[in-house]
Amino acid sequence: MSTFFQLIFSGLETGSIFALATLGIIIIFRTSRATNFAQGVMGMFNAFVATTLLITYSLPAWLAAVIGMLSAFVTGIVIDLLIIRRAKKANIVSKQIITFGIILVLLGVAPMMFGSVPLSFPRFIDTGAIDLMGASLTYNGLLNILMGLGMMGILFYFLQYTKWGLAVRVTASNEQTARLMGVPTSLVTMGAWAIAAALGTLSALMLAPAINVNVAMMENVQVNALIAGVLGGFQTFHGPVIAAYLIALARNLILFYVSDSWGEPLLLMLILLFIVMRPNGLIGKKIVKKV
Amino acid sequence: MNFLKSRYLTYLLIGVVLASLPFLNQMGVIRSATVTTFGFIVFYAIAALGLNVLLGYSGLISLGTAGFMGLAAYLTTHFTGEWHLHFFASLLLSVLIPTVIGIVVGLVSLRLEGMYLAIATLAVAEVSRQIFIEIWSWSSLRPPAVLLLQGLALDRDGMYLFIVGLLVVLMMLTDNFIHSPVGRALLTMRASEAAAQAMGINLFKYKLMAFGIATAYAAISGVLYAHFIRAVDPSPWTLLLSLQILAVIVIGGFRTITGPIFGSFIVFGVPPLILNQLPVIGDIPGLAFIFNGALIIIVILFYPRGLVYMGQDLKKLIKRKEVKSQ
Repeated sequence: MSTFFQLIFSGLETGSIFALATLGIIIIFRTSRATNFAQGVMGMFNAFVATTLLITYSLPAWLAAVIGMLSAFVTGIVIDLLIIRRAKKANIVSKQIITFGIILVLLGVAPMMFGSVPLSFPRFIDTGAIDLMGASLTYNGLLNILMGLGMMGILFYFLQYTKWGLAVRVTASNEQTARLMGVPTSLVTMGAWAIAAALGTLSALMLAPAINVNVAMMENVQVNALIAGVLGGFQTFHGPVIAAYLIALARNLILFYVSDSWGEPLLLMLILLFIVMRPNGLIGKKIVKKV
Repeated sequence: MNFLKSRYLTYLLIGVVLASLPFLNQMGVIRSATVTTFGFIVFYAIAALGLNVLLGYSGLISLGTAGFMGLAAYLTTHFTGEWHLHFFASLLLSVLIPTVIGIVVGLVSLRLEGMYLAIATLAVAEVSRQIFIEIWSWSSLRPPAVLLLQGLALDRDGMYLFIVGLLVVLMMLTDNFIHSPVGRALLTMRASEAAAQAMGINLFKYKLMAFGIATAYAAISGVLYAHFIRAVDPSPWTLLLSLQILAVIVIGGFRTITGPIFGSFIVFGVPPLILNQLPVIGDIPGLAFIFNGALIIIVILFYPRGLVYMGQDLKKLIKRKEVKSQ
C-alpha cells in the first residue's frame, strides 16, 4: 500500500507541472484561438533567466522563481505586442505555425544568451520529508503539489469572481461580441499570453531540479499538456486541468503496475480511445456548428 | 495540349533544375554538401506535398507526419537490411503498411474536429516513437544502399536523382488528383462543408481519402530519408518535425503543388546553405534557428498567401509601374 501512495504523491507532483502548462495553453487557446505550441519553450527560456540570475547573484530559489515569472510575464507581453496582435487576420493554422516560429526563435536565443551547458536549479526546500500513509513525501514535493493546486485555485477564483475574469470569459466565448460590449479584448489577450508564460515558467522551475535546465527540458511536458487539453476538452478551463492530473497519475500507476517499457504507449492508446468515444473530452461541451 | 504545356512543363523544369545539381557539383561549381541539403529539401517537400492535400483542401491538421515518416523509415530499413527484399518491394510495403495504419487511425479519429484531430494524431505519432525506442532502442540503424537492379547500387548522387524523379512524378500525380472529380469534391468541401453535403458529397469518405494520401506521401518521404541519409534512429521523429512540415506548407502556400518546394527550401535549406556559410555570423550557435523562426513569422504576417505567389505579385507590380510610367 505504501508504494501505491508513493506513486500517487509523485503523480500529483508531476500532475501539478502538467496542469500549470495545460492551463497556459487553454487560456491562450480560448482568448486568441491559437494552440500554443510554444508554451513549453516560453517556460524553458524564462527558467534559464531565473537560473542564470540564481547562479550569478546567488539568490534564494524562491526569489529567482519570482523574478523568472516576472520576466515571463514580460516575455508574454512582448510576444503578444510584436507578433500575435498583428496576426489577427491570419487563419488558425497559420497562427499555430507562428507559435512554432516563436519556438524556433527562443530555441535559438536561449543558447546564445545562456550557453549550451545544462544548468541545475535547486529545490525550493532542500531537505526533509514527512511520512504519510507509509509513503514518504518530501517537503519540496508537498510544496510543489500545494503550489500547483494553489495557483489553480487563485486563477479559477480570478476567472469566476472578478471583473477581469469575466472579461476573459466573455472574450473566450465570443470575441466580436465582447468587443462590442466594450471589453478591451486586446488587453485580455495580452494578459493571457503574459499569464500563460508565467505559468509555463513555474512549471519549468518545478521540473528543473529533476532534469536540469536545458533547451529540451519541456518537450515532454508540452506534448502531455496538449494531450491533456484534448482529453479534458478545450471548451472549459477546468476540464484540461483535471485531465492533466489524471494523465500524470495514470502514467505512474501504469508504468509501475502494468509495464515500465510499454506503459507510455499503452496510456496514450487508452487516451486516444477515450477521445474517440467522447470527442468533446472529459467535461467538454458540445460545439454547436453554425452554417 | 496547352494545358499540358503550362503545368506539366513547370514540374519538369523544376525537376531538371534540381537534377542538374550533382553535375554542377562534379564540375566543381557547388559543394557536395549542397547536393545533400537539396536531397533533404526534396524529400521533406514530398511529405509536405501530401499534407497539403489534407490541410489545404479538407482543412484538417495532422501532427502525425513525423510518426508515419519514422515508421516507414524503420520498416524499409528492416525489409531491405534484414529480409533482403528488393528496394521496390520494400518501398511498396513500407508505404502500404503506414497508409493502412493511417486509414485505420483516420476511420476512428476523423470524427474529431480541428485541434482535437491534430492532437489525436500527435498522440499516434508519440505512440509510434515510443514503440521505435522500445524495439530498436536508441542505436542508429544503417539501411543498405538502394539496389535498383542486380549490381546497380545507387550512390548518394544517384539516390538524389531518384528522389528528384520521384518528386516530379508525385507532383504530376497530385496535380491530376486535384483536377479529378475527387479533387473537385475536396474543393467544394473546403468552400463549405454544408454546401458540399447538400450536393451529395460524402464528407467522411473524402476526408479519409485526403488523410490516406497525406500518410502515404509521408511514408514515401520516410523511405527516401532512410535510404538517402542511411542512418535511422528515434530522435528526429518528434513534434518539432511535424511542425516543420506544417511550416513548409504555410510558407510555401496552401493548395499549391510547387509551394512546398519553396517552403521546404526556406525551412530546411536556408539555414545550412546560406546562414552557416556566412563569415562570423555563421559561427554563432542558434542563429539558424532564430533566422528560421523569424522568417516563418514574417512570411505569415506579411505574406500570408505563401511565397509561391511571389512571382505573380512581382509581375503585377512591374506591370503597374509600366502603366504609371506611360
